[in-house]
Amino acid sequence: MPPPPPDRAIPVLYRASAVTLGVCAIIYALLVVNAPVDSVQGVIQKILYLHAPCAMAAYLGFLLTAIGGGLYLWKREERFDRFAASAAEVGVLFCTLVLVTGPIWGKGVWGGWWSWDLRLTLTLLLFLIYLSYLLLRSFTESSERTARFAAVYGIVGLAVIPLNYLAIDLAGGRSIHPENLEGGSLGAGMGLPFAMGVITAIVAFSHLLLGRIDIARLRAQLAEREIERDTPGGGGAPWDT
Amino acid sequence: MNVFLAVLRKDLLTEWRSRDRLVAMGVFALIVVIVLYFAAPPGVGSEQRAHVPGLLWVAYVFAAVLGLNRAFALEIENEALSGLALVPADRGWIFLGKAAASLLLLLIIQAGAALVFALAFDVAIGPVALPFAAVAFLGALGLCSVGTLFAAIAVRTTFREVMLPLLLLPLMVPVLLGSVHATNALLQEGTLPWSSIQLLIVTDAVFLIVSFISFEYVLDD
Repeated sequence: MPPPPPDRAIPVLYRASAVTLGVCAIIYALLVVNAPVDSVQGVIQKILYLHAPCAMAAYLGFLLTAIGGGLYLWKREERFDRFAASAAEVGVLFCTLVLVTGPIWGKGVWGGWWSWDLRLTLTLLLFLIYLSYLLLRSFTESSERTARFAAVYGIVGLAVIPLNYLAIDLAGGRSIHPENLEGGSLGAGMGLPFAMGVITAIVAFSHLLLGRIDIARLRAQLAEREIERDTPGGGGAPWDT
Repeated sequence: MNVFLAVLRKDLLTEWRSRDRLVAMGVFALIVVIVLYFAAPPGVGSEQRAHVPGLLWVAYVFAAVLGLNRAFALEIENEALSGLALVPADRGWIFLGKAAASLLLLLIIQAGAALVFALAFDVAIGPVALPFAAVAFLGALGLCSVGTLFAAIAVRTTFREVMLPLLLLPLMVPVLLGSVHATNALLQEGTLPWSSIQLLIVTDAVFLIVSFISFEYVLDD
């Protein structure tokens, strides 16, 4: 397989996203600090500004994993596999944040750390599916086989989301989760910090994704060079180094 | 279609000659039922009885995982899987053949385990035997469809015994919830809830179609 093309755009985009993230994070922090305190829930309601944007970023990560996997199966280009793997890792990171911040809010407002509510269960299952995805990648030898297996699993994992939704609904897991985005349930002055939270989460997601893709690209380049170095007549022998 | 029948015949013939998969699955299901009885003996209250169908399906899922793991372990010996990949036909038919063989074996195990379960937990399955068989079939179809796809993947990982349940169980929630819900309604009220059957049919259809298409990418070129 030919070595991956030197993609100079990714490191540049990575640095640009770091600057954007820094600016967004400062504005976001100021908006959250100055946001009005909820009259019923108190200060714990401010977890919403972190929790919901992280959930959106996590779902975006899982969607991109399936898209990257599908593109890999279609085109058989390694860069799509690197994209899918990176999106899954970053998605799992954001999903972990969702599953940590949610129970903290739940303990304060519902009085319990966890409820087998429809959305909570769905998110937990997605988290487990993508953890399995990452385990599959680490337990499969040969990069080509890893990419194929992971692509198939990522696509099936996404296909099962609506089925899981129907199943949990059937089992009586009716949602007690607040519908934050519907019916204007956000109080006055809360919309802007929430929107900024979403923007910051998406920028943070993009920044981490670009960084992870760049690491994967460099690893692939390094592996190619090691193969070239160890192959007799293939760009230098071990005693040259 | 010929490939499907050939693979199905080969798998059933191999099993008939050795019977190792069937025996292992059967004994394992029996052990699970007994262990579950000791772990959660049924009480007389309706709330305690409501957990009984869930326990039965736990036994089914564990037995299915054991059998599915074995279905492809045999193909790894002497590179038989590479031979299968060389068949000049749509690989989806190979998948269907393997899945159908696993399904038949699981149905036999389900029947046996249900009998033991009915005796151990004092559950009257007899009066609802036919609708129960339909639910067991739909659940087993869901398990074996995507289970066969993942077994073909798991068998070529470095951690093969653990990999299949890790891959399969998080995706089995629609099948499990639909089956448990339907079995519970059958045993408690004697009725078959259409919502659960719908969910099982839709899930089975999605799993079968996705697995049939994806199997092409699971076997090595």
